[in-house]
Amino acid sequence: MAGFIGELLGPFKGFATVMRQAFKPRLTRSYPHEMRVKPQRFHGRHVLNRYPDGMEKCIGCELCAGVCPASCIYVRGQDNPVDAPVSPGERFGFVYEINLLRCIFCGLCVEACPTEAITMTQLFEFSVTDRADAIYTKDELLVQADGTPNHGQPDGPLIDLAELKLADGWMRATSPAGRADFEGVPAWTPSAGVGLRPAERGQSDVTESEEEEA
Amino acid sequence: MTAVDLGPAHAVLEDMAPVDHGHAIPLLQNIQESYGYLPREVLLELSSETGIPASHLFGLATFYAQFYLEEHGRHTVRVCRGTACHVRGRKIIQEAIDEELGIGPGETTEDRRFSLETVACVGTCFLAPVVMIDHDYFGNFDPKKVGEIIGGYE
Amino acid sequence: MPEQPPPEMVTISLDGQEIEVPQGEYIIKAAEDQGTYIPRFCYHSRMKPVGLCRMCLVEVETPRGRILTTACNTPVAPEMIVDTESAVVQKAQEGILEFLLINHPLDCPVCDKGGECPLQDQTVAYGPGESRFVEEKRHFEKPIPLSDIVLMDRERCILCARCTRFSEEVSGDPLIEFVGRGNQTHVITFPDEPFASYFSGNTVQICPVGALTAKPYRFKARPWDLEAIESVSMVDASGASISIETSQNEVVRINGVDNDATNHGWLSDKDRFVFQAIHSENRLATPLIRDDAGDLQPASWGDALDRVADALGSVRGDEVASIGGANNTNEEAFALGKFLRTVVVTPHIDAQVGDALNPEFLAGVTPRAEIGDLDGAATILVWAGDLKEEFPTLFLRVRHAVTQMGAKLIVVHPRRTGLDNIAAEKITYRPGEGPEVVRKLTAQGDQDYGAVRDLLTAGPVIALVGLTGRAEDPRLAEAVAAYALGLPGSKVLPLARRANVFGALDMGLAPTLLPGRVPVKSESGRAELESHWGPLPGEAGLDTAGIIAGLAAGDLKALLLVGADPVRDGRNPDAVRAALDAAEFVVSLDMFLNDSNQQASVILPVDGFAETEGTVTNIEGRVQKVNRILPGPGQSRALWSILDELSSRMGGQLGAGDGPAIAKEIALVAPAYRSMTWDRLEWGPERDGVVMPDRDGVQELRFVPDDSGLRPTAGRLALHSGRVLYDGGTRNTQSPALAGLTPDPAVYLHPRDASALALADGQEVDVAGEFGTVRLRLELDPSLAEGSAYVPANLDSTWVLGVPDVVTVEAQSSKGKKNEKKKGKKKGAGE
Repeated sequence: MAGFIGELLGPFKGFATVMRQAFKPRLTRSYPHEMRVKPQRFHGRHVLNRYPDGMEKCIGCELCAGVCPASCIYVRGQDNPVDAPVSPGERFGFVYEINLLRCIFCGLCVEACPTEAITMTQLFEFSVTDRADAIYTKDELLVQADGTPNHGQPDGPLIDLAELKLADGWMRATSPAGRADFEGVPAWTPSAGVGLRPAERGQSDVTESEEEEA
Repeated sequence: MTAVDLGPAHAVLEDMAPVDHGHAIPLLQNIQESYGYLPREVLLELSSETGIPASHLFGLATFYAQFYLEEHGRHTVRVCRGTACHVRGRKIIQEAIDEELGIGPGETTEDRRFSLETVACVGTCFLAPVVMIDHDYFGNFDPKKVGEIIGGYE
Repeated sequence: MPEQPPPEMVTISLDGQEIEVPQGEYIIKAAEDQGTYIPRFCYHSRMKPVGLCRMCLVEVETPRGRILTTACNTPVAPEMIVDTESAVVQKAQEGILEFLLINHPLDCPVCDKGGECPLQDQTVAYGPGESRFVEEKRHFEKPIPLSDIVLMDRERCILCARCTRFSEEVSGDPLIEFVGRGNQTHVITFPDEPFASYFSGNTVQICPVGALTAKPYRFKARPWDLEAIESVSMVDASGASISIETSQNEVVRINGVDNDATNHGWLSDKDRFVFQAIHSENRLATPLIRDDAGDLQPASWGDALDRVADALGSVRGDEVASIGGANNTNEEAFALGKFLRTVVVTPHIDAQVGDALNPEFLAGVTPRAEIGDLDGAATILVWAGDLKEEFPTLFLRVRHAVTQMGAKLIVVHPRRTGLDNIAAEKITYRPGEGPEVVRKLTAQGDQDYGAVRDLLTAGPVIALVGLTGRAEDPRLAEAVAAYALGLPGSKVLPLARRANVFGALDMGLAPTLLPGRVPVKSESGRAELESHWGPLPGEAGLDTAGIIAGLAAGDLKALLLVGADPVRDGRNPDAVRAALDAAEFVVSLDMFLNDSNQQASVILPVDGFAETEGTVTNIEGRVQKVNRILPGPGQSRALWSILDELSSRMGGQLGAGDGPAIAKEIALVAPAYRSMTWDRLEWGPERDGVVMPDRDGVQELRFVPDDSGLRPTAGRLALHSGRVLYDGGTRNTQSPALAGLTPDPAVYLHPRDASALALADGQEVDVAGEFGTVRLRLELDPSLAEGSAYVPANLDSTWVLGVPDVVTVEAQSSKGKKNEKKKGKKKGAGE
């Protein structure tokens, strides 16, 4: 009996849903004329960072390649030239390639990197017309001397440089070594040349020292 | 590098013969006695004469503070930096001696008259601050008398 | 291995469990054999314990209560109670690791050891998790070269003394040592004296941290992207077990594998770094055919094989000869032998390039010793080339037997050898006077060599017999073996140097041998083989010297060179070159161009070490498996597949479909290899290799050496042409890490000879022999017998000299200059 009445009312329920949605704020954007603000922890294309003095952070340790579940990273290290070192230390990343067709943007490479050389940006527009172009080499991945990532699009509506420079906010979703003691300690460095920003909060209960400060 | 006369080394070896691994330390002591230090060429010669590997001799020579691998001064000035001497002003003494000799600890004057060293303790804390020159002790060392004391050694 | 009495067993309690272990064994070993791993850094099973690192602390019950003691140097005792995981032990382990990490830099991502580092692993497993040490760590200049190959990072060193103990105890060249004291202690060489050891690579392998690194592997790959496969070193014939490790289809390093029967895990640097030649840009990658203008042009396999098949088919079978095959696997050697005997139908086959011993002696001398017999020997007689130069891993085994197992060593050689310093007796003789030494040793009542003869009365005696130098009469070794076999409890280990020469002989690559150690002259043996293969030539063929003469005389028309370079290895380089020129057709199957195949009509690229799968046989007759981890470069192919295709083009049937098929046929037709299968060598207890013939195998050939017909040497200076480890051979020169280690060519004379000839140390002199002249620097060497001249064989310039019995040495003269010019021109034309 109830079922019969329910069926009768069905169309009206549908109308009600449509009417409710019609007055909700719209999510659709007229991309590419209008860009969405991407979340800070957005998993976009990778960059290889530099230290503020211009040295490369990558030491060619291949941990990113080792941890990559899609096996899309290829790294080779080499002895650092003594007179013109590329990175601090004995070894530098001589070859660095990411096959973005294979990459699943999981971010494990970023987690694994001991020097925070590889981070992810907000860049997500990298359609290619040739499969070989999807293999990003060190030239394309390495940020410029001032920390600006290389990108394939012209500066303008598609690229928000200010947003790009904030693009590593998602890092260290858990605090270093997973220990709450380190919360509030900025344990990461941002993309080169863009300065230090406060650490994230909210990973565990607020610590005593923070309460005192507050 | 100037050639080193191996004659004294052979004399020492002859005196001590037969020399085997167990005699390495007295051997080095005797060599240092005749040369004042342990020249590289002599160490290599000792090694080929006795069969003690050169690397072992080098290891011994670097382990013991008593051995010198570079030409050493005729006199050794040792400034004690033990606790007692430290609290009684060894820093001032050190500065005075450095200035007088014109060298720092671990160095030798150009005329090879003095070598300067610091030692952890000479065991005469009741004399602190103390300085040793060769086998002589100078207790309650007065930095003003540095020139006078040093002058007594040629 | 020789039979040893079972050790006395004692019962101890390990972590509350009663176990039986051999009396006198160290706790750490006893526990490991029972499956309890005690962490360690300094302990190494092949070296004496020192108890330096303190990582292996365990608790042992004593009358004074439970005490912490090092498991690595505490032998078990009856009723001992050992606890390896008590709270006290754990606290001790945490403490030790925290101490070790005080000064150990945490540059693991940069460090080559990171990922396979015992310090890393054990810190994770037994460490405290965090350090209380917040101060600055000790700093040293980052890696400093100890030698051309090995680098030392003193910051990372944890002072376990594995490397210094290895070089003193095992390799016998203590060039590195602890230096300094306190927190400044570090390992280094004597100032400006390089760590020039033939075995320096082992220290890199056993370093428990990344302190010692080797240049060829430095920053090449990370442990987790290495692919590894076990194999056998093909540098010499001692059969050292190795693991070949590749990354991205490139061999990046070779490590020793502990094989109780052969190398104990140690390798020479040549074994370890010769892999660089695999990736040399000079590797042949396509077939080459000589065009009408006389130039070598790349060609397709089809064209090249057609050309070879036509040429070999257009002459009589017995006008074809083959030299080489001793660096290939048994399967390849067998396929080559079958191809020559059944498809081409020729008996002129020689795997040894005219510079080695009688094949029947090498394959058939009995009783033949195993390497393991050295450990049980009372006396070891080495009458062969300098083992350190020719058989480095066997050299270590002899050293082990003498320094650790108490054997007495007698060395007979024309010059000093690497073993002299541990030898009880040394006989230095003038080359050519070996027979005299044998006679004196044999003759009763002779006054000379009394001490040697006394030592030789104590058995068991193991005699290592080979050619002392290339100018030596090969029959001397047989005379020595004949003498040695008369000694108490004696066994002979015949030595020949090419990597798989014993396998090649066992597969019938000799003029006098058929597969499976069957002499050609044995009617029954040949009949047995003919039942599988059809009719075979009944007479013995020509050896390399005969082949060269035959080619020059026009009796032979075509020649196969299988990885052989007879110009460099022959007695008379010019004569060999002339013979190659006289040949109508020369086909070379090789990995590189060399002095011999430059003039070949067709050159076919073959797969080599690490690119082929199969078995090899070492000096003992031990068969081991070699494995493939890489494809060959470009279009290169496996030797057996080339031969199979050639056969079908020549209308024959080789049946060499793949490696396993050939292996099965070997087991079928070769009596000594009757029970051999790849499965036996790959799985189970026989992975260390099996000495053939085993339970089912039959040794048909029993060679009884005799000492007749030795040629005497007359002349002022008898030549001693000894081999050196880093020679001018192709593999060595194509490996950048090794190429620079080749010694400068020189001629060595006894000081009295030099002064008699009015020559001074360091002077440039002309050394002339029957076959050529070469200008060399003179060095004085009092270890030589008077009346002899030592010239290292096969260096870039010395090979021109050939191998005359006697040489003349004179101060640089105008005549010499002319000769050299002529020589230089000829060489230029050859290239």
